[in-house]
Amino acid sequence: MQIDIQHIAKLSRLSIENEKVEKFQKEMENIVAMCEKLPPMDGDYTAVDPSKPMRLRRDDVRPSLKREQLLQNAPQTQAGCVVVPKVVE
Amino acid sequence: MELFEMTAASLSEKLRKKECSAVEITRSALTQIEKKEEQIGSFVTVCEERALKKAEEVDKKIAAGEQLSPLAGIPVGVKDNICTEGTLTTCSSKMLYNFVPPYNATVVDKLENADAVIIGKCNMDEFAMGSSCETSYFKKTKNPWNPDYVPGGSSGGSASCVSAGEAVLALGSDTGGSIRLPASYCGVVGLKPTYGSVSRYGLVAFASSLDQIGPLGRSVEDVANLYAVICGRDPMDATSAVREYGAFGSQISRSVKGLRIGIPKEYFGDGVDPEIKSAVMNSIDMLVKEGAETVSVSLPSTDYALSAYYIISSAEASSNLARFDGVKYGYRAEGYANLTDMYEKTRSEGFGDEVKRRIMLGTFVLSSGFYDAYYKRAKQMQQKIAQEYAEAFSQCDLILTPTSPSTAFQIGERTDDPLKMYAADICTVTVNIAGLPAISVPCGTASNGLPIGLQMIGPKFSEQLLFNAAGCFENLCGGFGVAPAMRG
Repeated sequence: MQIDIQHIAKLSRLSIENEKVEKFQKEMENIVAMCEKLPPMDGDYTAVDPSKPMRLRRDDVRPSLKREQLLQNAPQTQAGCVVVPKVVE
Repeated sequence: MELFEMTAASLSEKLRKKECSAVEITRSALTQIEKKEEQIGSFVTVCEERALKKAEEVDKKIAAGEQLSPLAGIPVGVKDNICTEGTLTTCSSKMLYNFVPPYNATVVDKLENADAVIIGKCNMDEFAMGSSCETSYFKKTKNPWNPDYVPGGSSGGSASCVSAGEAVLALGSDTGGSIRLPASYCGVVGLKPTYGSVSRYGLVAFASSLDQIGPLGRSVEDVANLYAVICGRDPMDATSAVREYGAFGSQISRSVKGLRIGIPKEYFGDGVDPEIKSAVMNSIDMLVKEGAETVSVSLPSTDYALSAYYIISSAEASSNLARFDGVKYGYRAEGYANLTDMYEKTRSEGFGDEVKRRIMLGTFVLSSGFYDAYYKRAKQMQQKIAQEYAEAFSQCDLILTPTSPSTAFQIGERTDDPLKMYAADICTVTVNIAGLPAISVPCGTASNGLPIGLQMIGPKFSEQLLFNAAGCFENLCGGFGVAPAMRG
C-alpha cells in the first residue's frame, strides 16, 4: 500500500525533513505490509474482560500536588499558568 | 567474591550478621560503576548522593536493631521511564531531557519503603521503543558479555547494570519483551509479571494495555523478592488487579515434580537459531530428569502476533505520546510561528526516528477508513491468542520456549531495518498480548560466547509456579552471576 507519509506526519503533529521522506515512506510501507498479514476475523472484541471489571477509586477530594510542583517542569510559566503562543486574536 | 557480585539474598544475610554495612555494599557497587560505566553505559543518571544517604539510613536501622526487608541496603537500578521524585526521568529521550518528576511512581515508593538503595536511572530505548537500547538519545549501552554487542532492549540498561555488577537488582518495563529480551541477552533473570499485578502509576506510558513493570536480577530468589515488594493493588492505577499476593521469595519450592511442561512447536521453527533450540531442549530434558513431563501444545496464531502487537502498541503509543507538546513539561522548540507550529517543531525535534515511526504507524491504523482493517483485526487477534493460551494451559502447567530466536546481535547490525529489529521480539510479544506472566532465565552460552535465554510462560497470576520451576532450573545450572568480563 502507498502511504502518504507527509499526511500521516501532519495528523501526528510531526514534520519530516525532505531528505528523510523517502526512507520513512519505504519503512512505513514495509511495516504496514507486515501488519496486513492479519486475516479478517468474525466476531467483535471486548475492550475489558467482563469477568474482571475494573475497580475505580472513589472520586474523593484529597491532597494533591501543589501548583508550583505541577508547573516546575513547564518550559514557560507566568502568574501560575503555562505560557503558550497566542491562540485568540 | 566482592560485595557487588553477590546476590541480594546473601548480602541481606551479611547485613543481618553485621559482616558488612549497607554503605559498604553501596560503595562496592559505586566503585564498579566507576570502573565499568564508561565501557558499558548502563545509566542515564547515577544517583550517588541519594544512594549513600539511603544506605546510611539502613545502617542506622541495623544499629537500632530494627527489622529489615529483604531489599534493605540492596543497590537497585531503575529504568528511566519510572518516575523518581527529584531525580531526572528522561525515557532516554531529548523530549524529556530535563524532566524532574514531582512525585514517585508507586513502585519507587515501595522500593523506598523496603529500604532498597536506588543507585541509578537505567538507559533504555527511547520511550521503551526498541529491542537493542540503540534508540536512546543519550548513549548506546553495551552488552557486558561483549561490548561489541547490544544488551537488548528496551530495558537494556536495567539488564546490563545487573549483569555488570553495577547494581544487584533492577526494575525494567516490558511491553513486548523489553525485560525478558535484555535479560536473555545479558545472561540475567527477568520477570514480566501478569498484567495488572504491578502498578503502572508513575510509569511513563507507551502502550498502557500491554506495559508492565518487572524485576531483573542475578538469581530467581532475588527476582521473586523484588516482585513481592512491587506487586499489589494500587488505587492510582485503574487496571490494577484486585487480589492478595503471597511472599514469593521465601516460598520457592525449586521442584518440578509432576509439572506438565507445554512445548509449542511454533516456537521451535526455522527462524530460531539451531544452537538456541538445542540449548532450550537440553534445559527441558534437565527438568524432565527432575520429574517434570512434557506435552506438545499448539499456539497456531503465533505467526500473526508481531502484526497484532505493532498495531495495538503503536495505536496506543500515538495516543499516549500526544501529551508531549512542549507545553507542560520537557523540551520546547525555539522559534515558532504559532501554537500548531510549536507543537510540530517541538515533537519533530524532540522525538527520535523510531518513536516517530511508531506514532505515525499508530496514527495510520487508527485513521478513518483503516481502523477496521488494522486496529479492529489486531484486537480480535489479541482475543484469539489469549484463547489459544487458555486452551494450551488446560493441557499443561507451564509453557517453555526460547526467549529470543537468536543471541545478542552486534551494535549497528539491525538499525537500518526496523522489521529485522522487530523480529527479535517474536517469542515474547504473545505473552503481553495475552496479559500473562513469563520469566527468562539463562540456559547456557552459544558458540559466540553470548548467553541464551529460556522463557517460562504461565497462566495469569502463576508467578509462584514460575519461580518454583525457574528456581529448580537455577539449582541444576549451579546458579547465575555477573558477566565473566565484569567480575572482580
